[in-house]
Amino acid sequence: MRAPLSALALLAAAASPALASSEAEAAAKPGLLDPHLGLMTWTIIVFVLLMLGLKNFAFGPILEAVAGRERAITDAMAAAERDRAEAAKLIAEQKAAIEAARGEAQRYIAEGRATAEQMRNELLEQARKQQAELIDNAQKSIEAEKAKAIADLRREAVDLALAGAGKLIGQKLDAAADRQMVEQYLASLGGK
Amino acid sequence: MTLRSLVATLALLVFAAAPAHAAGAGSACHLPEAGHEGKVDIITPHITNGDHIEIPYWKFPFFLECTLPKWAPLHVGSLELDLSPTKHVVMLWLGAVLLLGGMVLVGRAHARAMARGAAPRGGPNAIEAMILYIRNEVILPNVGHHGEGFVPYLLTAFFFILTLNLLGLVPFGSTATGNISVTATLALLTFLTVEVAGLRANGVGYLNTMFYWNNELPVVMRPLMFLIMSPVEMIGKLTKPFALAIRLFANMTAGHIVVLALMGLIFEFAGPASAAPLLMSVVIMVLELFVAFLQAFIFTLLSSVFIGQIREAHH
Repeated sequence: MRAPLSALALLAAAASPALASSEAEAAAKPGLLDPHLGLMTWTIIVFVLLMLGLKNFAFGPILEAVAGRERAITDAMAAAERDRAEAAKLIAEQKAAIEAARGEAQRYIAEGRATAEQMRNELLEQARKQQAELIDNAQKSIEAEKAKAIADLRREAVDLALAGAGKLIGQKLDAAADRQMVEQYLASLGGK
Repeated sequence: MTLRSLVATLALLVFAAAPAHAAGAGSACHLPEAGHEGKVDIITPHITNGDHIEIPYWKFPFFLECTLPKWAPLHVGSLELDLSPTKHVVMLWLGAVLLLGGMVLVGRAHARAMARGAAPRGGPNAIEAMILYIRNEVILPNVGHHGEGFVPYLLTAFFFILTLNLLGLVPFGSTATGNISVTATLALLTFLTVEVAGLRANGVGYLNTMFYWNNELPVVMRPLMFLIMSPVEMIGKLTKPFALAIRLFANMTAGHIVVLALMGLIFEFAGPASAAPLLMSVVIMVLELFVAFLQAFIFTLLSSVFIGQIREAHH
């Protein structure tokens, strides 16, 4: 214990000519836990100056640059978000428009189909009616022709019968009164 | 304008050292004295403060001993204040100048990059990552709301301690943070910051951090608990910076003692067996590199936590 201490003292004395090489002062060599007021003062001075310097010339600009970059990124992100929302809105609008157009087309098609159906039915109905009418007309005219032919035939038969009967009797029968009698007879026949 | 004030700040730091040359007398550099007899304590001079520094020299033994000047002590009242530069004072200056210079370059790189509208590359970006990590992950979450005002102090503490720790690992360097005076002063600054933060955050409620008065206790118990707990609160207040100072000091000192002891063993064995302490000293040195970062980080983290605690106190 003694030897290293004196060696230390020697070293301290050799290293620091400012110190007198007396035993007492050598023993006052700085120990591990000795507070040193000058060093503490220097620590405060250096630290405070350093803090001011760093705050103003280093951390300030650096953090400002970082904040600027963050702002730029936030802005870019907000802009992107806005653009995306706008794009989504546009897409939705487009989709709605397409949907509307498709609905309209469907409606038109359905409408057209309904119209066509209706028209077809109408035409069909009309055709059927016309056909029926035609048939009806034809039947009527046939009926009329038939009646006319029967009437003609009947008149002819009356004339023939009167002529035949006149020849047979040898005298000319009164046309009007006889004719009426024959016709009455024929009518009684036709009634059967 | 910023550059000019910067130069002024640097000049102030440099010229603070100028009287060393003006004084002339005690500041001579010389070759170390040769041939000490017997065994010499290499550890104590290395880890303690001293009034000389070693600087690299191109001839054997490759270093010069420079005796630092001795200034007349200032008298502040009855107090004798010896502001003579010592080894650790010089390391403080060196660390501050290196850190400030480096950081200013980083800041300028950022200003240039911002003008370009981009992020800086390489070194400045790495420093920025460190700053942002310390600020966003360590300081702001722990300090609490509106903690921006504490960022410069805590960032400075982190980088200054880190620089001083690393300078202690450089050859010819010395660890100022291995000196209890330095760590105690840094802890004192944290203590003051914490107390001021408490005063500002709590107002009169700040007294609650010193005097224990619990209204939820029965009336009889209140004065009793006041008498018992108030000293505990006060001691707790002082323990925190004390622990900060001791932790940093002890970590730095212990690491260096281990490395120096292992290096001493290399010469003590003086043979093939020296390989073992050589290897171990390298490993411990790498560990010290890690510890240099770790201790700076812990100091900053705990300072942030203490500030946050007192600001949150009795809310």
